[in-house]
Amino acid sequence: MNPDNLKYHKEHTWVKVSGKKATVGITDYAQDALGDIVYIDLPEADTEVEASTEMSEIESTKATSAVIAPVSGTIIEANEKLADSPEIINEEPYGKGWIAVIEMSNESELDDLMDAGDYEKYIEEEAK
Amino acid sequence: MRLTIIGAGPGGYVAALKAAQLGAQVTVIEDTEVGGTCLNRGCIPTKALVASAEALHKARSLDDYGIDISGEIIPNLARIIERKNKVVSVQVKGIRSLFKSWGVTLVEGRGMILTPEKVEVQKKDGSIDVIETDKLIIATGSRPAQIPIFPFDGEHIMSSDDALNIKSIPKSLIIIGAGVIGCEFACIFRELGTDVTMVEMVPRAVSTEDPEISEVLEKELKKKKIKLMTGVKVERVEGQHDGIHVYLADGKELIAEKLLVSIGRSLNTENIGLEALGIKKGSRGEIAVDEKMETNIGGIYAIGDVTGGILLAHMASKEGIIAAYNACGIEKKIDYSVVPAAIFTSPEIGSVGLREHHAQEKGMKIKTGHFQFRGLGKAHAMGEIAGMLKIVADADTDKVLGVHIIGPHASDLVHEGALAIKSGLTVRELANMIHAHPTLAEGLMEAAEDVHGEAIHAPKK
Repeated sequence: MNPDNLKYHKEHTWVKVSGKKATVGITDYAQDALGDIVYIDLPEADTEVEASTEMSEIESTKATSAVIAPVSGTIIEANEKLADSPEIINEEPYGKGWIAVIEMSNESELDDLMDAGDYEKYIEEEAK
Repeated sequence: MRLTIIGAGPGGYVAALKAAQLGAQVTVIEDTEVGGTCLNRGCIPTKALVASAEALHKARSLDDYGIDISGEIIPNLARIIERKNKVVSVQVKGIRSLFKSWGVTLVEGRGMILTPEKVEVQKKDGSIDVIETDKLIIATGSRPAQIPIFPFDGEHIMSSDDALNIKSIPKSLIIIGAGVIGCEFACIFRELGTDVTMVEMVPRAVSTEDPEISEVLEKELKKKKIKLMTGVKVERVEGQHDGIHVYLADGKELIAEKLLVSIGRSLNTENIGLEALGIKKGSRGEIAVDEKMETNIGGIYAIGDVTGGILLAHMASKEGIIAAYNACGIEKKIDYSVVPAAIFTSPEIGSVGLREHHAQEKGMKIKTGHFQFRGLGKAHAMGEIAGMLKIVADADTDKVLGVHIIGPHASDLVHEGALAIKSGLTVRELANMIHAHPTLAEGLMEAAEDVHGEAIHAPKK
């Protein structure tokens, strides 16, 4: 269910690493908990984000929720398609629903993240 | 007792009617139209435009409500303005007929106080009248403030007065000042299809409101694709063949078809004879008054915008009533402890009482509760889920100190909060009252419950 090639933050965001670049998004568990997403306040390019702090805000029909950055760095690109079609996040949280690309400033932070197996155990615990 | 009132805005006309009810012989002098800024150039005409903008918005979202429409949805500006004018004229007639009914004499012209017992009126037909009086109320109001280096030209550099009577929908508009007036017009023009950019000197929009209200509003403006630049000063403005160029202190340059300047309001204290009488003014040129709304000269009162304070129609009206009582010999003092305010952005804002940043500045111990409109079934049924309700309460006594709402019908919902504050209710008392379902008012009950972490329709924290 959760792809093996990604790393996961306990605040339900994922990272796909390619060199110093990290593509980030929210997990399937997060999109399911939020319900129908109606808006995302996309981060702007060139802004700095810090791991485990808010990088963006998502609104669903049920709640507004912070998107927590899994790693620190500089936003180099945001997924502008989400501005008009935020529901893509519900449809493809690990694909076309990616939120931003971060140029990492501290790659060692990746070691703090979970792999798919650990994340699955983690959400099973959370659900209890 | 003869009472003369200069200015028939929401301060002056209300004072006139109250004094007439109390048996005074009342004359009101007005140089434009009864109702003043509020009715002719402020509250009412803008709300008529807001109603058209909302209708347009609804029409554009009909599909979401399961309604098919054939044909295009096009705002007809001339008819929108015509409707606005009709709304205003009905209200103007209403005030004129109330004056007749209560025997208030309306003299149309410009008033100048000669002595505390004599007012000269330069009438619209050029003739001059001198009115003898026992008491006086000054209610001359305010006008849009302009920036001296780029004054209003009524066409390209507009005041809020000009923006109410535009002839065509501008393709692009720059608004200097993201306060109440700037933000209301931004929402109206954006809905009409204008590309809107706002420039604000302070770090946030509607900076007099609670910071969380500004935050939500800024996000809603962003959703509408209204560009908002905060914390930046305008250096200069130039009219060129391709439009108005606005040069910012950070080096950026903006271009638009029109410019709206909404940086505040100037008080109308000139040429009404204040200096010759020796009426005391404050540091910002406002007329200084005491709790009875009386100036330093006995029997001369001042109310509304011209006394500084918060420039709100309902403040002026209440001050007018207080001044009328005192002029008629019944002593009453003004009470500013609870003053709700409404901002008709989309979504609208209603607020009353303590703001969180003021509590911090004063070092007060507070607790807060929040509730999102999207947690309410009614909001979903209406299709208006954006926004939230916030309660600021005293951490020790649990008393409600502030209520801040952004969302559907916020301006009406806020009054429950105002009454709670006025009555000294605790958050628990507010939360314990049964609120009807399904209503938006349930949101305030949930926000009150949330102060104690007990909101029913909020996830576990």
